[in-house]
Amino acid sequence: MIKKTLGLAVIATVALAGQAVARDQIRIVGSSTVFPFATTVAETFGSKGAFKTPVVESTGSGGGLKLFCAGIGEGHPDVTNASRRIKKTEVEKCAKAGITEITEVKVGFDGIVLANSKATAPVKLTKQQIFMALAKQVPVNGKLVANPYKTWKDVDASLPNTKIEVLGPPPTSGTRDAFVELAMEGGAKKFPSLKALRKSDKKAFKVIAHTVREDGAYIEAGENDNLIVQKLTANKNAVGIFGFSFLDQNADRIQGGIIGGVKPTFENISAGDYGISRSLYFYVKNAHVGKVPGLKEYLAEFTSEDAFGEFGYLTEKGLIPLSEEERALVRSRASTLSKLNLM
Amino acid sequence: MTDMSDLKSENQWMSEERKALLGKRHRTERRFKMLGLGAIFIALAMLVTLFVNITSKGYSAFVQTRFEMNVTFDETVIYPNGDRSAQAIRGASYGNLIRNTLRAEFPDVEKRRDLRSLFGIVSKGASRQLRKIVMEKPSIIGTTTAIWLIASDDMDMFNKGYIPRNVVEADRRVKDKEIKWFDHLDAKGSVQKVFNWDFFSSGDSREPEIAGIWGAMVGSFYTLLITFAISFPIGVMSAIYLEEFAPKNRFTDIIEVNINNLAAVPSIVFGLLGMGLFLNLAHLPRSASLVGGITLALMTLPIIIISARASIRAVPDSIRQAALGLGASRQQTAFHHVLPLSMPGILTGTIIGLSQALGETAPLLMIGMVAFIVDIPGNITDPATVLPVQIFLWADSPERAFVEKTSGAILVLLSFLVFMNALAVLLRRKFERRW
Amino acid sequence: MSFTPLIILLLAICTFGYWYGSKKALTLVPEQGRVDRGQPRQFGTFVVIWAAVPPVFLFALWSVFSIMSGEYKNKVFNQIDQIILPVLLILSTVLGCYVAINKIKTGLRVRKTLEFVIFAFLILASTVSVFTTIGIVFSLLFETLNFFEKVPVFDFVLGLNWSPQTALREDQVGSSGAFGAIPLFAGTMLITLIAMLVAVPLGLFSAIYMTEYASKTFRAIVKPILEILAGIPTVVYGFFAALTVGVFFRDVGSSIGLDVVSESALAAGVVMGMMIIPFISSLSDDVITAVPQSLRDGSYALGATKSETVLKVILPAALPGIVGAVLLAVSRAIGETMIVVMAAGFAANLTANPLEAVTTVTVQIVGLLVGDQEFDSAKTLAAFALALVLFLITLGLNVIALIVVRKYREKYD
Repeated sequence: MIKKTLGLAVIATVALAGQAVARDQIRIVGSSTVFPFATTVAETFGSKGAFKTPVVESTGSGGGLKLFCAGIGEGHPDVTNASRRIKKTEVEKCAKAGITEITEVKVGFDGIVLANSKATAPVKLTKQQIFMALAKQVPVNGKLVANPYKTWKDVDASLPNTKIEVLGPPPTSGTRDAFVELAMEGGAKKFPSLKALRKSDKKAFKVIAHTVREDGAYIEAGENDNLIVQKLTANKNAVGIFGFSFLDQNADRIQGGIIGGVKPTFENISAGDYGISRSLYFYVKNAHVGKVPGLKEYLAEFTSEDAFGEFGYLTEKGLIPLSEEERALVRSRASTLSKLNLM
Repeated sequence: MTDMSDLKSENQWMSEERKALLGKRHRTERRFKMLGLGAIFIALAMLVTLFVNITSKGYSAFVQTRFEMNVTFDETVIYPNGDRSAQAIRGASYGNLIRNTLRAEFPDVEKRRDLRSLFGIVSKGASRQLRKIVMEKPSIIGTTTAIWLIASDDMDMFNKGYIPRNVVEADRRVKDKEIKWFDHLDAKGSVQKVFNWDFFSSGDSREPEIAGIWGAMVGSFYTLLITFAISFPIGVMSAIYLEEFAPKNRFTDIIEVNINNLAAVPSIVFGLLGMGLFLNLAHLPRSASLVGGITLALMTLPIIIISARASIRAVPDSIRQAALGLGASRQQTAFHHVLPLSMPGILTGTIIGLSQALGETAPLLMIGMVAFIVDIPGNITDPATVLPVQIFLWADSPERAFVEKTSGAILVLLSFLVFMNALAVLLRRKFERRW
Repeated sequence: MSFTPLIILLLAICTFGYWYGSKKALTLVPEQGRVDRGQPRQFGTFVVIWAAVPPVFLFALWSVFSIMSGEYKNKVFNQIDQIILPVLLILSTVLGCYVAINKIKTGLRVRKTLEFVIFAFLILASTVSVFTTIGIVFSLLFETLNFFEKVPVFDFVLGLNWSPQTALREDQVGSSGAFGAIPLFAGTMLITLIAMLVAVPLGLFSAIYMTEYASKTFRAIVKPILEILAGIPTVVYGFFAALTVGVFFRDVGSSIGLDVVSESALAAGVVMGMMIIPFISSLSDDVITAVPQSLRDGSYALGATKSETVLKVILPAALPGIVGAVLLAVSRAIGETMIVVMAAGFAANLTANPLEAVTTVTVQIVGLLVGDQEFDSAKTLAAFALALVLFLITLGLNVIALIVVRKYREKYD
């Protein structure tokens, strides 16, 4: 009898105490591209023994920023990873929720590759062809029509006669954002009709350039880039869109596509020659520093030479490091928690 | 006298037609029997295929490749600023020590690219190994000792034979240079396979060679504990009420129908309930074993109730009549006489219900036990994961070595389940009473 | 005041009450002619009940109220929470102790009170299952209604286009947000059909063999082994399907010239069928064994072979039970998640070709909810709508199975 009441009391206590007790573990959400790097840093950070290992969830850059900007408090994440820069609308959303001080940390470069299985010939495309293959609406004879191309050969006679089958990220993914902005927009600009539209009505141009077809040629393969890699090895005709690190880690099974004549290699991307490359970031809520133990030290670990330096353990995972000067700048910014200021 | 020969000719039982038909029927009979046997064999073959497949992929997860290297515990690396505090020992760059050791072992490696490959043959966990050694025995600083360092996952896979030598280099994860270094160490006798205790004692990791299931096992333990603590009392009490006290009215009918329905609801719906109720409404901590336990308790409840009712029903009425006859109240009869006699059956049902809960994955995915969690949970509110979810997460990882680890984890999970089911069967056999 | 000291104090008061109550009970003059006088420890428990129930009740009331209002920042609230509440709880415990101890007199029916409390607990426990069902229906229904405010019902039920990944921000361009669920239902049906094609023949014939032909030892050995198939966690099946079976079918397919993807509906269906075999075989086994021996004997007496008896006498008699078993198995297959998440595809594909990749309802539920936790986008709500449909279908199948068995069951005697 007593035991039963006691048990109920304990459970109720613990249940509600969970809300009252301060969280002592860093909570990180965000990009699936940055996920392998964040988890490695988290693990190394935790193994040093001073603080608990941060808990990292892969939700996609967009999903992560949404959770991040939902509010301040233990129930909200401390850090969000992003494979693209935070947008002004998101900063405003954060400000509305009371998050006025965000520290931005740039961690490195990443290339977006269009990869396929090594069992077939590598993909050779220009940005324009990418746009023509994947957009929902394409200009044909000066007019915008629903995308009629079913095979790569339809897009350009020099391409193979296989069905267009592209596995790519959903809108929650920063990779998707970066891909539509760099590759699709870059390709759309090549059409004179669309170029003119861009000058007159930028918003309408963006809608045309960024909308991806939904008739089955582009398959949204979830936030899990590893799964895309597995599907590529299973399906020789498919092409996958993901970050360079996944290509690097699976180079024995897949190969990167040549975009605009440039191969996606470490050197080409860090030199800036590869056409679809972007920077990787993570964002920290300054308001949580001091409340959640170890946040500052986590920043220090991520920005240490051991981690994102030229020979760091992140580089071995496929991260393309920033230049030495930029690294020093990022490190000092992170250690002083300098506030983000988007112009 | 009737003509027997006439009867015989009238008698068609043994005509040629009949004999042929009989033969055909017997053949059909045999074929039918073979079909039945065949079905059983196909089912058994599928089971055996599953087990053989998983075991062949997983048994190597229980051994770990290690390289023996002479590590110089250089003071200047461990105490770069002359600061000799415990803090400095903890924060020192053991990666540097390892890199120095590798360079000393293979002095002819020069180019940056080659150096990167060279540093990659030893696991990232090796620096943690060194840290642990130094922290336990600081006197080792300044000496050069032979340490068995954990090899990287690629080297591990190569040593276990999963990466073949005779494939074109571009298609292989392990390059020719790396094979050369491996062979050099092997020739010295510095390559060994040891039992992989790390698999059972460490938590999840990005590096498959040091990834372990201990975190998941502790998480499973806490979750099952909560599940048991909640579903067992409530389940048994419901069963006692329904069997001993409930009047035959609409209310009781509703409860019974409910229990039967709940037993058939897909597990993912319970996950949604958990997400909507416990995470969003009650703001319980995400990814905690507490929430997982409550959700699984709701799922296991119908199973326990159904099996408890069956065992309570099996206790003969004479026991109840005798107790009542001696002046016991109905509650005293139920709790002091019927319940103890039905306990073995109830326990069997509970163990089976819990073993089903142990293997559940879908509802726990919904409540967030799907993050990358390295630390071993310390209590029921710490973020945790359970063994089946860990298997699910590892199944998605691209590193070849995780296939092996996933299969190994599956073998551990299956052995727990076999153990629990065997326990249930044993209990049933030992305490079964023939009334 | 923080929790632990408070709990310890309350427990201390209860323990004191128990001790005092049992001591006082020993001083009572026993009533004439009563056999059941109550033991001292029952009096002690009596006091504890009176002491413990008020604070637990108050605390539960307060917790529910605070969860519902959710105002953690309100200062008045915090004051009540931190100061007034603990005081109230302690007062109620002490009061309860006092009242209970005063009640301990000769003639007090302690056992009645204790049994009343236990009875209350029993009823409460029994209603947990009802509350669970209510909880499920409520949480699913609520969100589904929200969903149908954003997406019309007919679009959902009859639409052929499933592309739910809508944009996250205003300046982002996402998918068109089509929520037609027909491809999902079709995919679920396809995989379930394949699973049934595997499980029903194998399960039924296994059951027939084991009941009619097998020796006792054979049955005793093989039956538990087949039960193992039911005990394997579905995540293991999923892993097996994704890594081995899917690849196997793809390789076999390409060697005979067919284009089979590695996450074909065939792979997922076959493995799911494997999992369902024991359901059908053990339920059919029970039903077939229930057919009385007299029917079999009659059939043999007329000269029928065993197979003829089975086909013409036993199966028709057991048919309702077998149909019930099949329906239950179908409902299990429809609700299965892990096998399809790991082995089936993610893109909605309306096809009847088992060599292609399809997606099911359960895969989409998982895909929509793992990661994004916002509860007002049509995307997340769609998952709840799908879950409600799933819940209703499985429930319906179970009810039909029950009715079929009850209505058509043969009365043998």
